Amino acid sequence: MKKNFKTEIKFTRTYKEYINHHPAIREAHCLKAEFPDYFQPIQQNDLYAGRLKHGLVGFSPDEWGSTAFGYYILKPELQNILNDETTDEKTKKEIEEIISFWETENTSAKIRRSYPPEMAKYLPSDDWMNQSGIAFPLYRLTGGNINFKKLMQLGLPGLRKEILSKLATAKENNLDEKFYEGSLIALNVINDIIDYYIRDAETQKELADAENILRLNNIIDTLKLIKDSRPKTLREGIQLFWLYANAADVRNYGRMDVYLGDLLANDLDCRIITEVEALKMLQSLWQLMADKHTVVHNRVIIGGKGRANENNADRFAILAMEASRTVLEIEPQLSLRIYEGMNPDVFDKALEVIGEGRTFPIIYNDDVNLNSVVKAFGFTEKEAEQYVPYGCGEYILEHQSFGTPSGVINLLKALEVTLHNGIDPVTKKQMGLALGTFESFKTFDDLWNGYKKQIEHYVRIMADHEALEYNVAGEVAPYLLMSMLYDDCLEKGKGIFSGGIRYLGGTLETYGNTNTADSLLVIKKLIYVDKSVSKEELLKAIDNNFIGFEKLKKKIADVPKYGNDIDEADDMLLKVHNHVCNYVRDQKDRVGLHSYMIVNINNSANTLMGRSTSASADGRLAFTSMNNGNTPTSGNDKNGITSLLNSIVKPATDIHAGAVQNIKFSSQMFTEHKDELKALLKTYFENGGAQAMITVVNRGDLENAMNEPEKYKHVFVRVGGFSARFVELAKDIQLDILNRTLY
Amino acid sequence: MNATDTNGLVFDIQRFSLHDGPGIRTTIFLKGCPLNCAWCHNPEAKPYKQQLSFNENLCTSCMECVKVCNNTVHSFVNGKHNVNFDACELSGKCVEVCPSEALQIIGKEYSTNEIINIVLRDKKYFENSNGGLTISGGEPLAQFKFTKSLLMKAKDAGLHTAIETCGFAKEQQYLDILPYVDLFLYDIKAAEDKKHIEFTGASNKLILLNLDLLSNNGANIILRCPLIPGVNDSEEHLSFIAGLNKKYQNILKVEVMAFHNIGRDKSKNIGVEYKFNDKPNADENTKRMWIAKLEDYGCTNISIG
Repeated sequence: MKKNFKTEIKFTRTYKEYINHHPAIREAHCLKAEFPDYFQPIQQNDLYAGRLKHGLVGFSPDEWGSTAFGYYILKPELQNILNDETTDEKTKKEIEEIISFWETENTSAKIRRSYPPEMAKYLPSDDWMNQSGIAFPLYRLTGGNINFKKLMQLGLPGLRKEILSKLATAKENNLDEKFYEGSLIALNVINDIIDYYIRDAETQKELADAENILRLNNIIDTLKLIKDSRPKTLREGIQLFWLYANAADVRNYGRMDVYLGDLLANDLDCRIITEVEALKMLQSLWQLMADKHTVVHNRVIIGGKGRANENNADRFAILAMEASRTVLEIEPQLSLRIYEGMNPDVFDKALEVIGEGRTFPIIYNDDVNLNSVVKAFGFTEKEAEQYVPYGCGEYILEHQSFGTPSGVINLLKALEVTLHNGIDPVTKKQMGLALGTFESFKTFDDLWNGYKKQIEHYVRIMADHEALEYNVAGEVAPYLLMSMLYDDCLEKGKGIFSGGIRYLGGTLETYGNTNTADSLLVIKKLIYVDKSVSKEELLKAIDNNFIGFEKLKKKIADVPKYGNDIDEADDMLLKVHNHVCNYVRDQKDRVGLHSYMIVNINNSANTLMGRSTSASADGRLAFTSMNNGNTPTSGNDKNGITSLLNSIVKPATDIHAGAVQNIKFSSQMFTEHKDELKALLKTYFENGGAQAMITVVNRGDLENAMNEPEKYKHVFVRVGGFSARFVELAKDIQLDILNRTLY
Repeated sequence: MNATDTNGLVFDIQRFSLHDGPGIRTTIFLKGCPLNCAWCHNPEAKPYKQQLSFNENLCTSCMECVKVCNNTVHSFVNGKHNVNFDACELSGKCVEVCPSEALQIIGKEYSTNEIINIVLRDKKYFENSNGGLTISGGEPLAQFKFTKSLLMKAKDAGLHTAIETCGFAKEQQYLDILPYVDLFLYDIKAAEDKKHIEFTGASNKLILLNLDLLSNNGANIILRCPLIPGVNDSEEHLSFIAGLNKKYQNILKVEVMAFHNIGRDKSKNIGVEYKFNDKPNADENTKRMWIAKLEDYGCTNISIG
């Protein structure tokens, strides 16, 4: 348990001191107060400095715990310390002061305080992981991909120079001087961090052996170099990238092959380093990323159209995949953009690494996605070339746009509540709109309209919430280290969320899409078309989790399900998909965002939210996992891999901001049927496949791993928008993955 | 050419089939076979009509089937579910009420149009992998009209076609379908006719004649040779296979189909006797030995199918 709260106290004091100052100045001084303190010493084997461990209060654009972002407080952790008997009275008093100040002053609290009454009524809880609900807000500014290319080109001195020149002319250009003054202070914080690590390395050298002295000397030399000039080698490039990313708390790293490819190629061609050394450098970086345990971030993008030095970038991409093959961790989330005419060696390397069961790289198909990004976001074709997936798979334009998911909506819960006239059967309380009983929906269209109304009601609230969250976040701070490397912000002298960004968009995570569609088809067929089941009976069956309704369950099983290339079932999915995608997309002008779209991604929310969702008409049992992303409910795809792939390419990809497809293959496919596998994937991508996350396991491994976890730590699986060691997952998530069809 | 639409009895449609011809294929399994091979791994394919199947492992003893059956096919003795398959008149009522899918009717009527529409959904996969349609069974030629119509429609659609045949059909039928078949997966089961009759219930004379006929008429052939340890893997048989391979230029490859006891449970499910209940699957050493011997006898292109 943490004993020392000096930095938290210092941070709080600094914030109070600058509370009425310009937000840029306040933020800059707060950064100075928390850094370098929250950075941790270099560890054995690290080739770079940069291990961040945030404190219990601090500042970050992204979340550090439930609802903790911006000026955040980790209240539960502090509360634990307060409740601990061994905590002395003085510390207790300090903590109480910290809590009482930040309780109302933290950014999430400010956002919730500004909810209008309607929003507060329908979004009563922030605890989406544990409570039952149709929609929940999320508090964070996540997925920022800053301009690392520019950072590499300018280095810290160049960036400082640019800010200084903006400052010099700010007054005459009627720009906000304070923004630039704050930016300079923030940039100096990076120097403070560098100095801290030089001191740390010098100290560690005193007890180090010859080999480690060499390693530490390299770190010291590199740190000194990047402080004074732009990076000229791969080592310097990685070091600068890593320190800056940590200080800015940017967790998704964009097109790394573009901004590090030239440095790598130059190092290799000039024989500054060997391939082996280059690989070691990446391996060390990969390990540093893995140790951050972000679970859903740490995206590294390689490949794709629109890269200036494609050859150099491809060399980096292949090396990056080799690093992912050899560093047996679940992060970084290496993602490869592919396209017709790409270097075949890059794709072959990808199949090699995936085939070994590493779950990486995740594949994104430019030949589909560029066009989708153009249509969905309204970007130009040239702009669309710079799309990057972040987090669990949402798309933005690198350093030009933002699209943080600030909410989740459980479509299946919305249907459940609609069938119960606005009552949540789990809590027995009024939750959504009361639109009439199931009995009162005389036709399927009546029911469909009720469902739509329910969804639309929540979507409007969530769109308002997204805009509101950005507004409050923009008032609170300019997020200097991120903004100074986001297009237009330096030019305008404004933070990303204070009017600086070029394209401010938002996203809404949808869950239970497939279960909702399958349920609707069951209801339509059995109740409204065949009339072989009464509404009362179905409702009773659902409410009793099908216990005593085995015959009905059989009937339900016989109704086609999404994922089998059966039009009737797939069409219902399209109906659900098109409705929610289009309605969400239509909100942007009303709430003043450049775009607002759904993302059909998945972390483990299909399971977590499933735990509060009762049985559904598609036969899914109460409180079990819902479907994952754009894939069928686990085990419901029974017609072979081609029919699965044919189904999952049907939903339009140009009306949302990203969707994920999980496919589970046996390792034999990659060894005994490699040619067919390649043809299969090629066809899937030609048919419009946008994305593929491929888990490769041996038959029986997952069952065995549940029984003897200690022997199966090497088994990696793709959960949804993140990878995991299978044995480390909760049991119901394990079951969901086990139940997925293995091809 | 416009093939007429005709109906057939199909017991399985397997998409992404990788073992019945080159590339990615869709294999259509037809019911009905003139042979009665002791080791058959698709025993449900033999009868020419639909039949009831019961998987004991899935049964929850709910006894719903007992209540709905008019012919007392189902009974429970000391908690054990007995099925009188002979009494079944295929009403399908028990299947409808069985909550655990332990009961099934094997065989479903499809028209060739319906089948071709399913097959064409994967056309691009075939094109990118040099795959196509395979008709298997059972014996495809046992439903000759259906098979021919399906083959013609497939050729119309530009698909690569294969049929898996036991060789036991009229010569004229082979000549009729020959223009529409790109590849024959042709079974050879025993060299010696007496043994052939013993294992399969029929003579191999017609089979060898048809092989000769197809070869002389330019068919592409892969020999498929089920090898059952201790039953038909004799030196004589292996050398016979190699002899055929040498004799006919059109034989592209010899595929060894090593014994697998998958037929055991299936036989039990449909209430028929299975002769090799205790026979283990062929192990890797045995397979290697077969291949070595076939090579010794002069086979050039052998694989394990």
